Amino acid sequence: MIKKTLDERAFHLLKEKMDEGLLPQWVLTDPDIYDLEIEKIYGHSWQFLGHETEIKEPGSYVTRWMVNDPVLLVRTREGEIKAFLNSCTHRGTQLCTADRGNKKTFTCPYHGWSYNLNGELVGIVAGNKVYGEEMDKSEWGLRPIPQVEMYQGMIFGNLDINAEPLEDYLGEMKWYLDILLGRSGGMEVRGLPQRWVAKANWKATAENFAADPYHVQTTHRSTVEMGISPEDPLYAGYGHQVVMKNAHGINVITSKTGKARVPFQGMPESMWPLFEKHLTPEQLDVQSKVTVFVGGVYPNLSFVSPIHGTEGHLHNYLNFRMWRPLGPDKVEVWCWFLIDKAAPEEYKEAAYRGYLGSFGPSGTLEQDDTETWARIVEVSKGLMMRDKELNYNSVSNYLMGYSHVKPDENFPGPGTAYPTTYIDALSRRMHEQWLDMISKGLFKEEVKQ
Amino acid sequence: MNLDIERKVTPELHLEITTLLNREAYFLDNRKYKEWLELLTDDLVYRMPLRETVEGVGVDDISKDMAFFEETKVSLTTRANRLYTKSAWVENPATRQRHFITNVTVEGTEKEDEFKVRSYFLFMRSRASTTDIEQMFGERNDIIRKVNGVWKISSRTIFPDQSVITTMNMSMFL
Repeated sequence: MIKKTLDERAFHLLKEKMDEGLLPQWVLTDPDIYDLEIEKIYGHSWQFLGHETEIKEPGSYVTRWMVNDPVLLVRTREGEIKAFLNSCTHRGTQLCTADRGNKKTFTCPYHGWSYNLNGELVGIVAGNKVYGEEMDKSEWGLRPIPQVEMYQGMIFGNLDINAEPLEDYLGEMKWYLDILLGRSGGMEVRGLPQRWVAKANWKATAENFAADPYHVQTTHRSTVEMGISPEDPLYAGYGHQVVMKNAHGINVITSKTGKARVPFQGMPESMWPLFEKHLTPEQLDVQSKVTVFVGGVYPNLSFVSPIHGTEGHLHNYLNFRMWRPLGPDKVEVWCWFLIDKAAPEEYKEAAYRGYLGSFGPSGTLEQDDTETWARIVEVSKGLMMRDKELNYNSVSNYLMGYSHVKPDENFPGPGTAYPTTYIDALSRRMHEQWLDMISKGLFKEEVKQ
Repeated sequence: MNLDIERKVTPELHLEITTLLNREAYFLDNRKYKEWLELLTDDLVYRMPLRETVEGVGVDDISKDMAFFEETKVSLTTRANRLYTKSAWVENPATRQRHFITNVTVEGTEKEDEFKVRSYFLFMRSRASTTDIEQMFGERNDIIRKVNGVWKISSRTIFPDQSVITTMNMSMFL
């Protein structure tokens, strides 16, 4: 089906428009494109599973999803982190439905097969009496997620056994993750992720978060009306947008003066020596100037490290969110709150309340984002928008900073750093990555038929 | 529960409290947030923890460490004030919403003018011209207190029944 509707000509036209800083709108919620994305992007990318502090003790587990693949993420008795397909090997039943817990064995409610924390099949009801001695239990252990690796406490899985190692995949992004997650010696997740279903396409939410500070001045204008954010429409545009290998990126938003609005994002002064200890001088320079970090790890993990509160009570925290695609126009958002382990307890609590007031489904900033995400997908099914021949010129505009904004060679961090965050450089890079991945091998197969 | 306390919950009292909850629902459904805030005590505790899926029978499935709301009267006032701006796009154009409040039970406490009130909620919302109806349901545990002769809500804990929320945001108060 895909091959019938997605012909080579449409892809050539798509590439041609993308090279001009435009994105044909038909690709956003096209069902065939969506199927390709799941297979070719999510089947081969490192996807976020959880943070090591979510499964601290031996036997701790959480259940997660890699799009439609159910995942059981466990800490073994030996303290190792392992991930398995959350499905009984006997008849495929979902093995564990709890969100989190602590166990020694997982028993399937269908026929009672049970598995230990290493995924080994350790119990079969009636065992040899029904299967005979010839059935080898060691052949029927839980199927492991092919690759599981961790960086700065962030655990990722990959369904492609041949995918490049996580650290290579993250590449230059590691330098920034070292700041976000390693600045004080480690972060911890508080509780469970908040989860909700939004009307949106995963590409649009990932781009909205990782690559688009330009939306802040209008989408979040209510904060300006209330006197919380500055009147200057450029306020979220000061700083750098950094574009990296594999379409990862970060916006280092400073302020009009090029300095932070408050030192070290309002983190307590007692913690500043930790930043000096854990960061390189270049990283410390970036951390000392930033007001907000916001960015993403391709394809569907985004993060923000903002400042919230009023003068004298400013708080910083780290929020990671995973956009789990549930369809061309549906996303399940998973939203984690992280804070420095070393932060004082009262600061952690205040930062948590600041987070609830701003992000997540109840956060006042994110509420308005959900409205714009929905308004995009709700109008994307029409003949004009879906026209692959582009007779109606249905293309989205990614021309901000196209060709005329040059990278800043003096920026201390790795990657290509543009001297503004009101620029579509990262969005364009994400689109390129997307097209490279979904079109890989597509037409060679078609020619063969 | 000793008899003295139980006896305090008269049909008249039950009616007064359900009238308060119905009035509250009316204010929320009609975007009268300033009037709604008047129904809350200044020392209000307003919470909405996550519901989680937990293995086992008779286990507590209310999250102790993550919530959607952890509010005070001050933070709720900020949230309400935002909905009076022109650019809180989530409610401009306004959504149409109804709070259906049922199964109200009232229980006395050690304090003469303070009652524990449990109610169920069904929240339904229609947005723009989309035909999808959003909904959320669950239970609320309140403390209702008489302040200067007027019943007010001094504590509310909202327990959603869903672990994954299906309203696309939570711009509503429950």
